[in-house]
Amino acid sequence: MAEANTDQVPVTVLTGYLGAGKTTLLNRILSENHGRKYAVVINEFGELGVDNDLVVDADEEVFEMNNGCVCCTVRGDLIRILGGLMKRRGRFDGIIIETTGLANPAPVAQTFFVDEAVRANTRLDAIVTVADAKNLPQRLEDSLEAADQLAFADVIVLNKTDLVTAEELEGVEARIRAINRFAVIHRTQRASVPIAEVLDRHGFDLQRVLSEHPDFLTDDAHEHNDDIASMSFEIDRPIDPEKFNVWIGTLLQTKGQDILRTKGILAYANENRRFAFQAVHMMADGDFIGPWKEGDPRRSRIVFIGRGLNRPQLRRGFESCIAG
Amino acid sequence: MSGSSRLDRLLDERGTGQELGQYVVAAAFDRSAGHAAFALGDGTVRLVALSAGTEWTSVTAHDGVVLALAADATAGAFLTGGDDGGFRRIDSKGRVSEIASFGSKWVEHVASAAAEGEGRRAKGGYLACAVGRVVHLFDTDDGKLKALEHPSTVSGLAFDARGKRIATSHYNGATLWFAAAKEDSPRRLEWKGSHTGVVMHPDGEAVVTTMQENALHGWRLADGQHMRMSGYQTKVESLSFSRTGKWLATGGADVVVLWPFFGGGPMGKPPVELGGGAGELVTRVACHPQQDLCAAGFADGSVMVAEMVSDRMLPVTGPGRGSVSALAWSSDGATLAFGTDTGFAALIDFGKQAG
Repeated sequence: MAEANTDQVPVTVLTGYLGAGKTTLLNRILSENHGRKYAVVINEFGELGVDNDLVVDADEEVFEMNNGCVCCTVRGDLIRILGGLMKRRGRFDGIIIETTGLANPAPVAQTFFVDEAVRANTRLDAIVTVADAKNLPQRLEDSLEAADQLAFADVIVLNKTDLVTAEELEGVEARIRAINRFAVIHRTQRASVPIAEVLDRHGFDLQRVLSEHPDFLTDDAHEHNDDIASMSFEIDRPIDPEKFNVWIGTLLQTKGQDILRTKGILAYANENRRFAFQAVHMMADGDFIGPWKEGDPRRSRIVFIGRGLNRPQLRRGFESCIAG
Repeated sequence: MSGSSRLDRLLDERGTGQELGQYVVAAAFDRSAGHAAFALGDGTVRLVALSAGTEWTSVTAHDGVVLALAADATAGAFLTGGDDGGFRRIDSKGRVSEIASFGSKWVEHVASAAAEGEGRRAKGGYLACAVGRVVHLFDTDDGKLKALEHPSTVSGLAFDARGKRIATSHYNGATLWFAAAKEDSPRRLEWKGSHTGVVMHPDGEAVVTTMQENALHGWRLADGQHMRMSGYQTKVESLSFSRTGKWLATGGADVVVLWPFFGGGPMGKPPVELGGGAGELVTRVACHPQQDLCAAGFADGSVMVAEMVSDRMLPVTGPGRGSVSALAWSSDGATLAFGTDTGFAALIDFGKQAG
């Protein structure tokens, strides 16, 4: 996922609880007259209105990698399916993977870190989560997956807004923000959202890491220990790359099960280029992206989304990476 | 391709090649070595009668990608599987017939065990295809014999040399079935992780799988001894036993890796490495059916034939036509077929006398 390769087919992961409106959104994407051709990987044939597109029937088969990393689970079926689709290259503008309602998005995302052929031919574009404004509060009470799906999201389609009052809508959006402050939220009815807001988002592109988060330093109080929360930290002195690697490596090794996503832009000492970093659980990826803009402050920023995040510990850890 | 003409000498003098413009998924020969076939990413198969040589017939086999290709159980024909759910036969005239259809499921692997005797009077033999978690077994009259169920999707399928047993790979190991068993009590060979392909030792002594991690795993069948073969730069996509089963050749490194299956090996024995030097990854290997030779295809499109152990190399083609994605010998060892991911395919005739 390091460099932008135009041959890589973008892959969008569509998650969300049963009944939230995933199929409606999918049908909307596929039926809109956009002149593009998609392959759609689904788990059960539903009522998809597809003519020009290819629908692939998959089983969500998750396996653990034998690399000593307990949370490193991968979707083996996707490796096979993406490999098969690549043999007819040039025939798709994108691939959409729909997960079942109860699925944790991590294995799908991790598949794109683990398999070389998948990495060479496709790029994970974004995780799009459809949430039902009416039922989301209940889902958050009775399952862990609902919060995971929000935490992993780059884009959240907050659907069925016509079924709730304005106050309820504010309330549910606040709950989403408490879990994931960095996703783009679209309020919709019948999953009506412009396709450009859902596809080709470059949510996992190192070039775009943290670029769409103007509210980066807004106050993020009230997280409860066991809930998923997002936290951000900022340092305006240069970072020592070796110290950072040791710290983040140890942190993800020990706490990676609870840290769902990490994203960062770092200003290394004696380096004119920005270093972009991202991780899904323990699987990390990083590379230099373009130079710092002339006159812009060289500020290192890092974001964590996870369970039971310890703010003072994370802050101290990040500050310990300052070049001495 | 400039500057590689010397390396292309065998292709120029003994080969026929074509730019097909489609991913070459697999190459195979029929059991009598009368025909070669190339399976392509656009659902077609190129059929070549080796006696005619230069005429390549395009046969539409699937609506989508031809995912799998193998010789049929009887001479003159091929089996194919596709992402249109079809398990089909192509005869020597290029006629396509359906053996079975699985709707929206992909037919990802096909294999056959040779029938005894010729033509319509052939006896025995099996056809098999893997569809999701199930291997469907047929007799040579296309009659469905049984469905072999697995705990997860079948990622590889191989008959043993005698056509009696079927080895399959899947999550957490491999399974060994007796094709003729009335009641199925398969032997489960367990090893945690995702196994992505399988081969059987020619004498039936061992089953070896490729894994998602850059390694192979094997089981010695006599005593269930595990065999771990690791140290690869990348995921191993291709492996092939030598005709006697003495060596297991694999890709996955910038040399051809040969694991010794004798003298207690491969456990505790370092593999022999052939070729290399150019730093290119070996993507496909195929051992010669009659001599101690191994063909290797590389990520830069070059192909060579190596003499095992002696390390003598014969270049077949130079680099430049994509990455080698298909490689096969005819059963008489006279013809080598290869294809690449950008759509170049060729047949090299090793049978005719030089000059």
